[in-house]
Amino acid sequence: MSTDNTASAAESSTSEISVVINGTEVKKKVEPRLKLSDFLRYHCDLSGVRVGCEHGVCGACTVHVDGMSVKSCLGYAVQADGATIETVEGLVDDRGALHPIQEAFHETHALQCGFCTSGFVMATKELLEENPSPTREEIQTGLEDNICRCTGYQNIYKAVEAAAEKMDGV
Amino acid sequence: MSISGVSKTERTPQAEDAPEEAESFTGQGLPRVEDHRILAGEAKYVHDLTPDDCLHLALVRSMHAHANIVDIDTSEAEAHPDCELVLTADDIQADYNPMPTGITEVQTEQGTGTLTEWSLAAERVRFVGEPVVAVAASNRYAAEDVADLVNVTYEPLEPVTDGMTARTDDTVIHESAGTNVVDHEHLRFGDVDDAFAEADHVVEGEYFWGRISGVPLETAGVLADYDADTDSFDIDCNIQLHTLVDDTIYDTLGYGPNDVRVNVPPDVGGSFGTKIAIHRYCCLAAMASQQLERPVKFEEDRIENLQGGDMHCSERNYRMRLAVDEDGTMRGLDVWFVDDFGAYPRYPVNQVLKPLSVVTNSYDIQDVSYEYELVLTNKTSQTAYRGFGVDPHIYALEMVVDKAARQLGLDPTEFRRRNLISDDDMPYTLASKNIYDSGDYARTLDRIEEIIRDERDGGLLDPETVKEKRAEGKYRGVQPSVIIEPGVSGSDWTDRQRSDRTALSERTRAEVQELPEHLRARLELDGTITAYLATDSSGQGHQTLVSQLLADELGVLPSDIEVDYLNSADAPTEYGSAASRMAVMLSGATVGVADALKKRVETIAADHWGVRPEDVAYRNGRVEQIEADAHLSLVDIAVFESDENGTPPAVSYNYDHPATEFEEFDDAFIEKLPVYPTAAFGANAPIVEVDIKTGEVEILVFHTIRDCGTMLNPMIVEGQAHGGIAQGIGAALMEEFGYDDDGQPQAITLFDYLLPSIKNVPNIEMEHTETPSPFTVTGAKGVGEGGMIDAPASIATSINAALEPLDVEEPADRIPVSPAHLRSKLRSLTR
Repeated sequence: MSTDNTASAAESSTSEISVVINGTEVKKKVEPRLKLSDFLRYHCDLSGVRVGCEHGVCGACTVHVDGMSVKSCLGYAVQADGATIETVEGLVDDRGALHPIQEAFHETHALQCGFCTSGFVMATKELLEENPSPTREEIQTGLEDNICRCTGYQNIYKAVEAAAEKMDGV
Repeated sequence: MSISGVSKTERTPQAEDAPEEAESFTGQGLPRVEDHRILAGEAKYVHDLTPDDCLHLALVRSMHAHANIVDIDTSEAEAHPDCELVLTADDIQADYNPMPTGITEVQTEQGTGTLTEWSLAAERVRFVGEPVVAVAASNRYAAEDVADLVNVTYEPLEPVTDGMTARTDDTVIHESAGTNVVDHEHLRFGDVDDAFAEADHVVEGEYFWGRISGVPLETAGVLADYDADTDSFDIDCNIQLHTLVDDTIYDTLGYGPNDVRVNVPPDVGGSFGTKIAIHRYCCLAAMASQQLERPVKFEEDRIENLQGGDMHCSERNYRMRLAVDEDGTMRGLDVWFVDDFGAYPRYPVNQVLKPLSVVTNSYDIQDVSYEYELVLTNKTSQTAYRGFGVDPHIYALEMVVDKAARQLGLDPTEFRRRNLISDDDMPYTLASKNIYDSGDYARTLDRIEEIIRDERDGGLLDPETVKEKRAEGKYRGVQPSVIIEPGVSGSDWTDRQRSDRTALSERTRAEVQELPEHLRARLELDGTITAYLATDSSGQGHQTLVSQLLADELGVLPSDIEVDYLNSADAPTEYGSAASRMAVMLSGATVGVADALKKRVETIAADHWGVRPEDVAYRNGRVEQIEADAHLSLVDIAVFESDENGTPPAVSYNYDHPATEFEEFDDAFIEKLPVYPTAAFGANAPIVEVDIKTGEVEILVFHTIRDCGTMLNPMIVEGQAHGGIAQGIGAALMEEFGYDDDGQPQAITLFDYLLPSIKNVPNIEMEHTETPSPFTVTGAKGVGEGGMIDAPASIATSINAALEPLDVEEPADRIPVSPAHLRSKLRSLTR
């Protein structure tokens, strides 16, 4: 039953990290065992980073670290010290307008429950940065590390193609 | 909508920007109102709710499938500086109740047995992953540290891991029940014995459907907050059907329904039926919160979810018998199966009965026997999953139909065609008393055959290509059938297993109690309207559906409408979003609540003018006097009413279940047989390619024709079909919760439980027809489960067709049709 431990928790060893998240510099003390996904969700209030499996299969927690897409559940916050991180929140502009990729997902009904969507949007962003007009096969390869359980992926192809068109020449 | 754009339902994504051009919002692919907050990362799913003073729960789970608990030593855990609470079964038995089970009494020759399930295992563990101890600490990391310090001593027992042998096993996993077969029923319709005695042939097949589940990307989560001042609870969680199954929480806590407010956030990361049964977590977090008088949160992790999350679904062994005449007439059907429910029979026990709603699928057979045994084993418990037990039934039925065609030497498609229910017989009453509302099944089969002919003529099945591929060891094939999706379940039949079945024979229509769909609407002071749903959502777009329908009914813009949700205490008990109900129930309720709101504002306006209500009329967002040039806007009316009575006008409406309007359904209602008044239907032609060297199956393209009556939002309908088909592909080829002989689960990560990725789902080429339902307000039929119900059967029969030249005996006789299974079938051939 209820326990009464008057002694406070032993101060765990923490280290300070400094990261730039969505353009803002953040300095925080973290435990070495803190996952990057939990750091972003619970210490930086970026709950758009979704956690679906915590073992690197589903891709819902995908963010960009120094411009590359990374499954944030597989890394630790301390490993990100000095890095530049971008999450789905960072894609929305100052006036609250959606990024063309986000718009394209909306217009093509490429999300249902939406739990995988942050990860898909970030994976799509990396794909289109590397390849502005991917073929269907290239979309498959670019997004095969993300799982969507609702859409059957049909409209995700359309979203990526629509986003590629919107971003063309931008 | 197919990828190549072959569809009669072109959507109009620009509708949002140009509403004035639209005659009506309903029937359009109006983009969803839910999307912006999700895409921007602003949506608050239950895992995102973490108040500052919140504590976190972690669970110690059994590593044994079956064992006595000898001792639980919590002293080290309690000594951990971060430990706030340790709960064991002893603690909760002192203050709380067992959780309700799906079957409370078990009839055996020895008498009446009982089944009890506590939120934490008491004295004995019955599956790997069963929670034994709950601990609370300041964060999840600390809580897991504390949980690691709990020492449980077990005395292992012989596990029961096979549903078939469990029936006669000496080990009974609940001694209080007296048997592992905790429910059994044999239903007979027509004259089955005669049909089987007289038919020219009886064809028999045995089929296995492996354990699968919905595995939504968001795991279960709960934030419970006990308030000592009012002695009541607020429970935020992602449970599905929160107004129906809230009793599993408040009964366990020992409180009344109004003292436990279950609230589901507007965004839930998928459920597909599975989250109906997450009440264990809700109860444990609530108990911890009450003990500590602080909010307590539990986030299930993925491994917990897969191995011990009470969320697996049907695991069935079927024996199907089909009585057929030489001319290809199906005379009778005999269904027998065993469903392995795992350690406890929970709420979804009625999924063994739902197949009765489509018992003969699209075939006209009136002599039917249906028998099941529901057994318990040392595995995690079952919950609901999209299709609710219909998917295995349709698979097994289509398999034996294939087998019968081949034994008769008939083309399997021609055999099916000869037995299809005719358009002239609609509405058609099944042997099992449910009714199919409308549909031309033969026309659907004709169209899918046309598509297949095109593939044979220069396409994927062109004889030259097929021959070349066979030389490489790759066998292509396809076998379609017309498959029904039962929609809009009634609620009354769903407690059949808890009813005295002998008393059912004396039941009258007056005793039938159906749950209506409840909806509220309030006019706001700025003239906008807020609607309140009594159901929860998990990605289906209910907010969009209600706003587009309500906009049409009231002649306003969808953007003038907000849609919010009621908690379980504020909402009446109702069924909610399951069983493909919402398109019909929610649209019926929306039309009703709009009428009620129009009447209400007309009355207010008439009173204001001092005229009779019949002298005024509501039109497009205002009330006008019919004979005079005067009108009042919705803002005016909201302000008048607010000045007068303190609040703007609000109305509610209860939409009765549509089947209650039709006497034709009375027999099914009275006998508590599944009532599903809409029959969506379709036919699939997945072109499969089997690599006989590896046993791998690739689906080259998935053709499908679907009909769900009037489409309220074609974009959402197509999305539901895409997703259902993808889940059907996973079920057919990839997913399975296997167990070893010791009862150890073999799929506890997503590396072992394989969810289809973008590489595993082929192009889905979809066409629609629209045959309105005569039984519903809008002509819509239930839709949402279809792909999961029909895709596995279509893939299995297509694999049979692909391997036909090799003369393999029923290659797809087990789901999933894994590479290992196909290789073993093919190896036996070469010996």
